[in-house]
Amino acid sequence: MSDNLARVLRPNWESAPRHDTPDQKPLDAPAQPGSRLRHIEIVATRSQRRARPKIAFALSAVAGLAVIIVAQLLLSVGISQGAYEVSRLQASQTELSRTAESVTEDLVRVSSPQSLAANAEAIGMISNSNPVYLRLSDSAVLGAPSSATGSQAGAASLVPNALLTGVPLVTQPAQSTGQGASVAGAATTSATETAPTTPTTPTAPVPAPGAGLPTPTTR
Amino acid sequence: MGVSARSTRSGKRRIAITVVLLFAIVALFVVRLVDIQVVRADTLSADSLGNRSVEQPIYGSRGDIVDANGVVLAGTVMRYNITLSPRNAVEFTRKTAAGDQTVTVAQAAAEVGAITGQTGDAILAIISSSLAADPASDYAIVTKAVDVSVFRAVDALEIPWIYFEKKPGRVYPDGAVAGNLVGFTSSEGEAQAGLELGQDSCLASTNGTETYEKGADGVRLPQSTVTEKAAVDGGDVVTTIDSDLEWFVQQALAKQAQATGAAWGTVVVQEVKTGKLVAVADYPSVDPNNVNGTANPDDRGSRAFTASFEPGSTFKALTAASVLDAGKATVGTQVVAPYRYLPGNGANINDSSGHADLHLTLTGVLIESSNTGMSKFGELLTDKQRYDYMTKFGLGTETEAGFPAEDTGILHPYDEWDPQTKYATMFGQGLTTTALQVSSIYQTIANKGVRMPVQLVAGCRQADGTMTNVPAAAGTQVVSASAAHDTSDMLEMVYQKAWLSKVWNIPGYRVATKTGTAQMPDGHGGYTHGYLVSVSGFAPADDPEYVVSVSLADPVKLNTSAAPAPIFQEVMSQVLKKYRAVPSGAPAPALPGTW
Repeated sequence: MSDNLARVLRPNWESAPRHDTPDQKPLDAPAQPGSRLRHIEIVATRSQRRARPKIAFALSAVAGLAVIIVAQLLLSVGISQGAYEVSRLQASQTELSRTAESVTEDLVRVSSPQSLAANAEAIGMISNSNPVYLRLSDSAVLGAPSSATGSQAGAASLVPNALLTGVPLVTQPAQSTGQGASVAGAATTSATETAPTTPTTPTAPVPAPGAGLPTPTTR
Repeated sequence: MGVSARSTRSGKRRIAITVVLLFAIVALFVVRLVDIQVVRADTLSADSLGNRSVEQPIYGSRGDIVDANGVVLAGTVMRYNITLSPRNAVEFTRKTAAGDQTVTVAQAAAEVGAITGQTGDAILAIISSSLAADPASDYAIVTKAVDVSVFRAVDALEIPWIYFEKKPGRVYPDGAVAGNLVGFTSSEGEAQAGLELGQDSCLASTNGTETYEKGADGVRLPQSTVTEKAAVDGGDVVTTIDSDLEWFVQQALAKQAQATGAAWGTVVVQEVKTGKLVAVADYPSVDPNNVNGTANPDDRGSRAFTASFEPGSTFKALTAASVLDAGKATVGTQVVAPYRYLPGNGANINDSSGHADLHLTLTGVLIESSNTGMSKFGELLTDKQRYDYMTKFGLGTETEAGFPAEDTGILHPYDEWDPQTKYATMFGQGLTTTALQVSSIYQTIANKGVRMPVQLVAGCRQADGTMTNVPAAAGTQVVSASAAHDTSDMLEMVYQKAWLSKVWNIPGYRVATKTGTAQMPDGHGGYTHGYLVSVSGFAPADDPEYVVSVSLADPVKLNTSAAPAPIFQEVMSQVLKKYRAVPSGAPAPALPGTW
């Protein structure tokens, strides 16, 4: 309809200056063809026409609204998707921190002095409780050098640690997992086994750390 | 016309009905709206929030207790209580790779029991007994405080009526190493003994709460977490103890205490120049992981702090230092020490074994550990002077260590001393001290007469790394440096010449020691047949670094100071080796003991 109007109106506006008549005669003139007459309507002024919203505006507004709704939908889908992601990651973080805590616990447990001493003895190490000093200023030997005879820690740990119950010694590999092969309990048995042997001739199977140590040879 | 009028009338009626209906419906809605929005608004919104919001505690972590090198002696770990809902304990279907399988209650109980170390019957008994008590019972504890691996294993069974509760637990990785000092908490997490109790204000954490909303599938709604109260972690207590040395000392003490049949024993290792305690061992001791494993409640603490005893002859070093400081005698002042000394005020002083009169110097009195000789030196001072020296050495008051239930020892005011006590207090009877106080006396003598506050805790380390509650470290001059030096020289003579000199010999170092053998009170004003035997001393004597003080109570198999001497030798050797003390250069000055 506005298309029609526009077409009807354009010639009128163009013809106005040609006729040079102030009363817009051509509009009322009967000389105009009848077909044209039927379409004659009251025409809005320029300012009125400006003020009237164009269909394009409405369309763009509706489209904008639609875009906003869709965007919001997508965003909210994205956020909920993120929530599941966050939830999943948090669950895995919880699991991992549990694992970390658990292995840290194991680590500090086996780093306890009781565990270290029992394991050191189990692989044939002996603590020398008879230190001898060499004074460099006058080459004096302070103390009587003697070979280490059994360690101070003795046969068994006298300082209990309930956490080590069921923890196997390094010399007791996987076959004895948790079957009473505890540091506290095994210390007695392993010490009685290794006590008669001297550190130079370990009869017990020495595990990798002991075997890996370089032995200095002196000639 | 008639038709039209009728239709108009019926139209009006229709309109009226419609309007009435409309109003009725609107009124209905309004009533309902007011009911929901105003009358029941609070309960409804609370209900709705309750359906989707979850409030859960945020556990603040109780602080660690660490040794001087940062080794954790007490730490907090997360533990899990396994609980079940008795009324929901029915058989369920488990989806496995092989297809669905039905698991009965008995099967499930057996599976759980196999992991938690209970029998399936025991768990069934938990269910039936709680149902017997309350048929609608929804909560019963299967087992408490299991660790992560057990929790995971039980969780993997996917039993729908088994639930878990998180609960922070306390763990002591080094077991009984320093267990006497660290103390322990109850299963409810309340501090009960030792530093756990004494430093609770530093260690304690505050739990917080957070609220969030969850969807129907249990997933947390985005942006819905509201932390209502943040959890505050506790601070770490940093002790002065070295856990490796502590283990060695406890081991050495336990070995000798068992060999000699001692009722109990203590060893204190203290740094001379700072007053810091490096090791405080007790026998018997407690493993805080297994407190019930130590049957006697008295064995669960630290007697070094909480038990006082008559120190006996180790105390003569204090009397000698006091006499020297007052200028009443020198290391060479001569007395005649009889077997029995009757000073004339009614007191009766004996030496431990009969002997002819001995011509001893002050040095000799210490070497022979003569009570009569020491009495003749002690009476050179007034009672008040000696009492003042004793209080300045820290007797009669708790040390600065801040250990809970620490004993002050018994030191009666000098005007209440009877004639025998007046003399007995010169050689360590008639008063009581803790092992810590004895160690502190030797620290003072070793540190040029300056007594340092006894330090067990270096401070409370806050989360941001700042140390608070750092104890004062200013010493007090108790005796002059020269008096302390002379006393040290005399104690070196004791180390060289006393009957135990072979036993406690540490090659390469100059050592100052004194033994003590004191009858133990029976608690009713008399004495038992048992003795408290002790050795205290410090090394290297030319530049003292460490005090070692050993006490054994009633070693029935070896009732002399020969019982603690090997511990002293072993511990002092280890201390000197561990801390790389430089072996002594010049030999000790020779002081005559007789004339």
